[in-house]
Amino acid sequence: MIPYCSHRHSRPLKEAAALLVQDLTVFYSGQEKPALNHFSVTVSPGTVMALVGPNGAGKSTLFKAISGLLPVHSGEVSVFGHSLGACHQRVVYLPQRSEIDWLFPMTVMDLVLTGRYIYLGWFKNLGPKDKGIVAKALQQLGIADLAHRHINQLSGGQQQRVLIARALAQNADLFLMDEPLNAIDAATRETVKNVLSNIKGEGKTVIVATHYYDQEEGIYDGAVYLQDGEMIR
Amino acid sequence: MNIFLEPFQYVFMQRALVAAIVVGVLCACLGTLVVLRRMSLVGHALSHSALPGLAIAYVLGFNVFGGAVVATIFTALLIVFLAKDEAVYEDTSIGIIPTVMFALGVLIISSTKSYRDMSAMLFGNILGISQGDLYLIGGITVLTLGALFLFYKELKLLCVDPDYAKTIGIPLNLLRYGLLLFLALTVVVGIQAVGTILTNALLVIPAAAARFLTNRLGIMILWSCVLAALSASGGVFISYYLGLSSGASIVLCSGFCFCICWLFYTCLPAGRLLQNKKIVLS
Repeated sequence: MIPYCSHRHSRPLKEAAALLVQDLTVFYSGQEKPALNHFSVTVSPGTVMALVGPNGAGKSTLFKAISGLLPVHSGEVSVFGHSLGACHQRVVYLPQRSEIDWLFPMTVMDLVLTGRYIYLGWFKNLGPKDKGIVAKALQQLGIADLAHRHINQLSGGQQQRVLIARALAQNADLFLMDEPLNAIDAATRETVKNVLSNIKGEGKTVIVATHYYDQEEGIYDGAVYLQDGEMIR
Repeated sequence: MNIFLEPFQYVFMQRALVAAIVVGVLCACLGTLVVLRRMSLVGHALSHSALPGLAIAYVLGFNVFGGAVVATIFTALLIVFLAKDEAVYEDTSIGIIPTVMFALGVLIISSTKSYRDMSAMLFGNILGISQGDLYLIGGITVLTLGALFLFYKELKLLCVDPDYAKTIGIPLNLLRYGLLLFLALTVVVGIQAVGTILTNALLVIPAAAARFLTNRLGIMILWSCVLAALSASGGVFISYYLGLSSGASIVLCSGFCFCICWLFYTCLPAGRLLQNKKIVLS
């Protein structure tokens, strides 16, 4: 296999925090005010944590910095004991649904299969093993019957399930979910919650960005509050 | 049958047909990505910007298509450079650069007073294609389609979800620049067939028409190749029998195919099945 970048596909270190962020500051290019200002947080493996804050608080910025989409200005980020990027196959960022081109001509199966690309690298094609993993992920999300449907023929809730299925197909250990419970139907909400508890049951870690935190939902182990790029509690 | 075979007693017609089909298929393959990445204007910019390159090379006595390659690559880099800091919006720079370049090309050619050559540059001259041109077209086609085949899955992900592609370590800028480079080469090949003004049509029309026929990328590429090959051969025949401009005939045939596909998509039940269902948000 010829990997996409020189990063090693390191294994998670035992006893290490799933995510350790220390004093992280991130700027968007051309802006003077940081989108995240000296932010620190530690997340233990096997937990589901809520990252709560209004729009523009810096939730997506944090996710993008952890997943390598935005450069880190100062501070440290480590994932399973490795510096940023060394363990990148274990981290998956589920963007807000609006960031994907849903009109692109591909089926649900094709989109979920992209979750296997990281294990293929350059020039290698998908094999039966990848298709088996994807079929299992689709089944877990209850969308196996949609496998051959085109991605522009999905409801908002179905789109969310497809993105989670891709994250499962990547076999990640740290899930960064951006507003997964926003504007979806009640059935999908239940499915997403079930999947979250399943993921947690497998010892994986989930951070959910949300602007609405309801402790009674019983899915979160804790919450961090963000406002204007700073942690408020 | 003779009607179809008669034109091919002439070697120049054999070459024209082969060149038109190969160029059409190449443009259609790359055009699919151009359409899906909403880069149609970039193709327009590159093809128009080739004119000063053609003109300067012509005046200096160099290979004109070498000049076109340099001019298109220069333009591609200029567009990326200007849009980099968002000081100038990409569509604005596409509004400025090709028109200025095109004007420069017209100025240079008008100073030589060679309007016959100017017409070939603007509207192509597929009937005058030489054996050497055919080799150049073949070489660029093999190179471009080979790259498309090798990087197919990464290019697909670049179109549908670039952020995810970046998080798994795919070097997006390398892919973007690579795509632009091959687009520049393809445009230069297209110019040989239909000229600087009409080349963008070869890139965009077959792919846009194919989008009406399928919801799968691979099938869309196949359909756009079929439509491009049909338009290319149709255009060459029309131009032979009616004595009309070959480039314009090819592009009009593409336009005709587009209309048929659009009618299929909007009027027939099979086409309507492919249309977007409204996304339901609770």
